[in-house]
Amino acid sequence: MRISTILGMALQSLFRVPATRSYPQERTPSPERLRGQLRWNPEKCTGCAVCVKDCPAVAIELLEVDKAAKRFVLRYHTDRCIFCSQCVQSCRFKCLSLSNEAWELAALDKQAFTVDYGRDEDIHALVEKPASTDDPPRL
Amino acid sequence: MNALGTLLLFPGGLALLLVALLAEWISRKLLARLQNRVGPRWFQPLADTVKLLAKEEVIPEGVHRVLFEFLPVLSLAAVLTAALAVPLFGVVPATSYAGDLIVTVYLLSLLTLCTSLAGLITDDRYAAMGGLRVLSQLFSYEAPFLLALLGPAVAAESWQITRITAHAGSNVWMLFTQPVGFVVAVIGLMGKLELSPFDAPEAHTEIVAGSLTEYSGRGLALFRLSRNVALVVGLTLVAALYLGGVSDPLAFAVKTLALLLVITTVQALFARLRIDQTIGLWWHYGVLLALGQWFLILIGKGAA
Amino acid sequence: MTTQPDSAATPKRFTIPIGPQHPALKEPGFFEFTVEGETVIGATLRLGYAHRGIEKAVVSRTWVQNLYLLERVCGICSHIHSLAYCLGVEKLAGVTPPPRAQAIRVLIAELERMHSHLLWLGVAAHDAGFETLFMYSWRDRETILDLFEQISGNRVNHSINTLGGVKFDLTAEQIVSVLKAVELMEERARYYLDLVRNDPMLGQRIRGIGTMSAAEAHRMGVVGPTARASGVGRDLRVEAPYAAYTAIPVVVMLETDGDLQARFIVRIREMFESCRIIRVLLDHLPEGDLQARMPRRIPEGETIARVEAPRGELFYFIKSNGADMPERIKLRTPTLCNLGSVLALCIGRQLADIPMLLIGTDPCFSCNDRAVVIHQAGNREKWTWEQFRRYGNEALR
Ligand code: SF4
Ligand code: SF4
Repeated sequence: MRISTILGMALQSLFRVPATRSYPQERTPSPERLRGQLRWNPEKCTGCAVCVKDCPAVAIELLEVDKAAKRFVLRYHTDRCIFCSQCVQSCRFKCLSLSNEAWELAALDKQAFTVDYGRDEDIHALVEKPASTDDPPRL
Repeated sequence: MNALGTLLLFPGGLALLLVALLAEWISRKLLARLQNRVGPRWFQPLADTVKLLAKEEVIPEGVHRVLFEFLPVLSLAAVLTAALAVPLFGVVPATSYAGDLIVTVYLLSLLTLCTSLAGLITDDRYAAMGGLRVLSQLFSYEAPFLLALLGPAVAAESWQITRITAHAGSNVWMLFTQPVGFVVAVIGLMGKLELSPFDAPEAHTEIVAGSLTEYSGRGLALFRLSRNVALVVGLTLVAALYLGGVSDPLAFAVKTLALLLVITTVQALFARLRIDQTIGLWWHYGVLLALGQWFLILIGKGAA
Repeated sequence: MTTQPDSAATPKRFTIPIGPQHPALKEPGFFEFTVEGETVIGATLRLGYAHRGIEKAVVSRTWVQNLYLLERVCGICSHIHSLAYCLGVEKLAGVTPPPRAQAIRVLIAELERMHSHLLWLGVAAHDAGFETLFMYSWRDRETILDLFEQISGNRVNHSINTLGGVKFDLTAEQIVSVLKAVELMEERARYYLDLVRNDPMLGQRIRGIGTMSAAEAHRMGVVGPTARASGVGRDLRVEAPYAAYTAIPVVVMLETDGDLQARFIVRIREMFESCRIIRVLLDHLPEGDLQARMPRRIPEGETIARVEAPRGELFYFIKSNGADMPERIKLRTPTLCNLGSVLALCIGRQLADIPMLLIGTDPCFSCNDRAVVIHQAGNREKWTWEQFRRYGNEALR
């Protein structure tokens, strides 16, 4: 009868690397499909707002600058997003994507979590509307 | 001055405390590596102690205040006193008198008693269960550990640690002449210090932190320190008695370290024993083995 | 739920609370054990500390949004929850997902089963004080999480299901890494199987402990691996196959000992079965679309969906009134079926065995919490709405 079945494995472990990755000193490229921060391409957006409707976390707001000219600003709340990629699925015009690089999203103030996407002039036009950082509206 | 230095700086007091923390680090680090983890950095035990000392000590309702604060101090004092008579780092012990082996072993047990009392005086039910378990374990482990240490004593025909080590140094290692005694001593030491797999008294998935559940801050720090010092004292004792005396300090340090590594490895290998299994194991096998060994020694002595 | 001895308490007894915050339970459930010395003579269970009101929340979210809410019922078996929901909603809408989607769903479900069992093995080892095994099994579990990250982009809430199919396809390269991981898992499972069968010290803690006969298992209605360890072959993948299981017959792993060791062995043997299923799936991976078109409004009707989660049968009742939100969703998780058996098994055991017995059923509190009406003997009564409210408020406090 063996006294311990794990002895061999334990001794082997002494000579194994004890960590999978010594993050943050050592960085490996993130998987291609990693779901990080949302990105939006304003050129193709039609303003159908399906993404807003389907987002389970109320993380997207679509702000109109000029509806007729299809000029919108997408206000994205990183802190509410659950990275489910439903918006990416829902957008029939492929304007949305989740970045596989922007995944280290910690920040010291809440402002950093509200991101406005869009053409610069559109964002400027919206400057008087301050970003809301309140709790998400109740469903 | 010299005597004070021996007591406070080297080999007792400060040096002993630092070595105790070092021993904790070595043990934790090796355990981590055996488990394929990274493990703590070298100053972690010291940092833990400093942090605990700096933290507020919460005294729960319904305990005897004085006793609650006094127990950790008493246990640290007990193990530091126990260190006086053992050849720490291979240096000649501070004191030596006939029968100091027994005194040392019982001073080490005082730590266990304090731990148990610490649990029993609180109203906490986990602590009370832990306290009871500590006591049960004490009763079952005391005997075999003492018997195992008596083996070399009988062989050397003395109860005095210095005499026994001198005898051990000038003869074949007692590890080889009394292997059973050695195994019982090592396992007895582990049981005494409640190291895994004999850590039922502080099995945290059952009774949280056992008898120390209510302790925080200074009290917890002192208990932890005493535990570490007791580990070093116990290792020194077993190494000195069984691994061929203390003549060469460097060799002695290596032997003690090796013993520590062995104990740590054993900790990584097993599932925790239930308290009834822990006790059963000792009364069924430990005591018998130790007694058997003892009789063999006696017969050997009689024949010689 | 309670199985306490009669109230004529002798002074030697005292009660030990385990939970709602306790190192043995990482999740909040409350057990009160009456012990005499170290022996347990009574047990009471109280749930509801992590009641999140999900069943209420789903009726005010759209069908699509609910997918993600229900995925978060449980952190370990997230895929299987959304799978059950999708199967139910697709049945109501009369949509059949394409075969490739069904195969990918099963693939993820089996990977998830393996990672759940490995996680459980670690937790059980930890409760037995066997930290080394805990570290190893959790290290090996990382392999599967990495796979999830590769395939779906997220390690825990994979969100691979969508109504009418799956979102992410498998690339050739991913198939290779899945096969590689499966090989590794088989090797590790072999090692763990040998370990739980032969390790003498672990054996002392699990062999012959908490034995539940097949008849008892039937009576107490336990499900999943806990039932299969007692020789009750309940497995929905066989009894009511869904998704790609219709094409791949599953071999039910049965053990007859019914003790804790059998529960270890069953789960580890299921890992082999999962590996086999994955291999067969990948060999016969159908080509084609990933999604079928789903209507936004689900036709009126009600249905049930049952799937075999890693812990046992998961049950969904879904009712639609034709709107874009469900009218009612009721879910019952396997833990709820199994917890009752723990109370019965605890009586007469050592206190030290309790965490092990509890963990033996692989409980997951976050997913089973709901209001529980406690019937004590001789105290049967109907609760008024007011009493319910008070009970709910007390549980929150
Ligand atoms: S990823 Fe999910 S949560 Fe994030 S914005 Fe898109 S839909 Fe909303
Ligand atoms: S779904 Fe696409 S097109 Fe429609 S509003 Fe959102 S981003 Fe624009």
